[in-house]
Amino acid sequence: MTKHLLKLVWNRKRINFLITVEIFFSFIVLFGVVLAAVYYVDNYRQPLGFNYENAWRVAVEMNNRAEGSHSSQSSQTDINAPKEPSEKAEPPSATTFKQLMAAAKEFDEIEGVATCTVTPYGDGTDTSSIGDDSNPIRYGVSMVSDDFPQVLGLTLTRGRWFGKEDDGANYRPVVINERLSRDVFGDADPLGKELRRPDLPPKQEEEKSTPMRVVGVINEFRKDGEYTAPDNFLFRRQLLNNQMSREPNALMLKVRPGTTAEFEEKVIKRFQAIAKDWSFEIEPVTKMRETANTFRLAPLIAGGLVAGFLMLMVAMGLTGVLWQNVTQRTKEIGLRRAKGATARRIHKQILAELIIIATFGLIFGVAAVVQFPLLDVIGDINSRVFSLSIVISLAVIYALTVICGLYPSWMATKVQPAEALHYE
Amino acid sequence: MIQLEGIEKVYRTERIETVALTNINMNVGEGEFISIMGPSGSGKSTLLNVIGLLDVPTGGKVALNSKPVTSYSDRNLARVRNEEIGFVFQTFHLINDLNVVDNVEIPLLYRKGISSGERRKLALRALDRVGLHARVHHFPGQLSGGQQQRVAIARAIVGNPRILLADEPTGNLDSQMGDEIMDVLRGLNENEKTTVVMVTHDPRQAEKTERVVRLFDGRQVS
Repeated sequence: MTKHLLKLVWNRKRINFLITVEIFFSFIVLFGVVLAAVYYVDNYRQPLGFNYENAWRVAVEMNNRAEGSHSSQSSQTDINAPKEPSEKAEPPSATTFKQLMAAAKEFDEIEGVATCTVTPYGDGTDTSSIGDDSNPIRYGVSMVSDDFPQVLGLTLTRGRWFGKEDDGANYRPVVINERLSRDVFGDADPLGKELRRPDLPPKQEEEKSTPMRVVGVINEFRKDGEYTAPDNFLFRRQLLNNQMSREPNALMLKVRPGTTAEFEEKVIKRFQAIAKDWSFEIEPVTKMRETANTFRLAPLIAGGLVAGFLMLMVAMGLTGVLWQNVTQRTKEIGLRRAKGATARRIHKQILAELIIIATFGLIFGVAAVVQFPLLDVIGDINSRVFSLSIVISLAVIYALTVICGLYPSWMATKVQPAEALHYE
Repeated sequence: MIQLEGIEKVYRTERIETVALTNINMNVGEGEFISIMGPSGSGKSTLLNVIGLLDVPTGGKVALNSKPVTSYSDRNLARVRNEEIGFVFQTFHLINDLNVVDNVEIPLLYRKGISSGERRKLALRALDRVGLHARVHHFPGQLSGGQQQRVAIARAIVGNPRILLADEPTGNLDSQMGDEIMDVLRGLNENEKTTVVMVTHDPRQAEKTERVVRLFDGRQVS
């Protein structure tokens, strides 16, 4: 019977062409949306690496340029490049930051305070890389103070966080995530090893004198949140002293559960009293998360709506085309009934034909989407997410096809054979 | 072989009630070749559809081989239609998108336990029996009316049914082709003892059958 149906569908290819094309394009659009959804879900299911609950970010704007060389949070520059040890006195901004942190700790509502250059869910990004330009290992970087893991609940999987024991060391202590450890060191233990670039240009030769040394490893730190793909990350120690290579641009506060927004004002007033020329803006990380996630999900929701509308159109179109198809084949259906087909068999045959037609469209659809990774149009999406998206899209299109075919094929079984044979 | 007892058929719509058959009593013996005649609208095709289990009578009983089939389920009716009865229609009812041999195979698709190779063999044999072995890969549109009707007959007999029901099989053919088709039907009746019930308008063709049943306004008049 399958051979018979294949032959029938093939011989009617001109009539079935439109349905095939409709299914092909529906699959492509649906695949795009499903791929994005599966990608987000896959990312969401992976560990975030930090706890955003009861964490507040205080964005710091140092308006008085004399106090320090303020740098923008968004940067692609190499912040790992060492600075020449300074003999100068502690810069005023470092003193102010120390005062701010001390003031924050005085509040009962604040359990912990830390500085950082890159905040979770924030817009800013610092990146660097190891290796030559042809094959660099890229990673995100944040310079943070020693208390940062307590404020954001980071968990070490190996080693320790940097702290006072690193004062005066002839290396720069860094904490990296497992992913970066795997990329740089493979299965080897990274602890105590230097995170070095093999081919340093001469101007960065000094890096060899104060190399970055891995003192600890964390499981994960996904700075842009749960919907972004996990990436390599590295924390460097932020020193608030005369060797301060880069000023922090934010303070992270860990507040007691139940602390209300009214407390924000109290903190800002206190901070403002310490640094009159600076401006502060407090935002709970949960709110930043909400904003960032909405921003990330918006295209998916829009795409989903478009795809949903398209699927509805396709469903209506398919039902209509099939209805017409069944009506045009009333005599054939009557003939098949006369020759021994049961109503159930006719029902199944029409659905089977539809599935075959859909399969033709889907074969072309799958052949088209497997070109996407080769053409590099979908970015760095892993093969598991890609394959799962294909499977889900196929299942949805097949389900849609069958649902659309149910009513017309059921109608076909309602026609009495004698009536069908004389249908005009 | 075929027993009809008090067959009534009434078509009802919301406004109109049309009586198609009234009190038809008829017996067709095994191996008989009978024709049903009557003017248009006299109920000939309706009667044939009732005999062929394509239509359900409003009243009365239909029995095949002394087994009442009126209350059969859709599945059993389909089985009987597939195994016991072959149909030939005035307009051939060939599927234009299938070639000759694929058209002939259709009844065997609905029969269990026949492999595709066996189906093909039986279809070719049926085509041979109607003298169309040279046209097996042609499509219906490439054949003459007479050839198309031969294909339809091959399709009707491919499953070796004991009853062949023909609804004006020569109605769309010229007299020469009509005669050829009648020869095929007679051959099947005489050589293979197939029971043939044929509806026809043509007295010339009706004369070639053993018995003529005449209908007028849904009633059996002879």
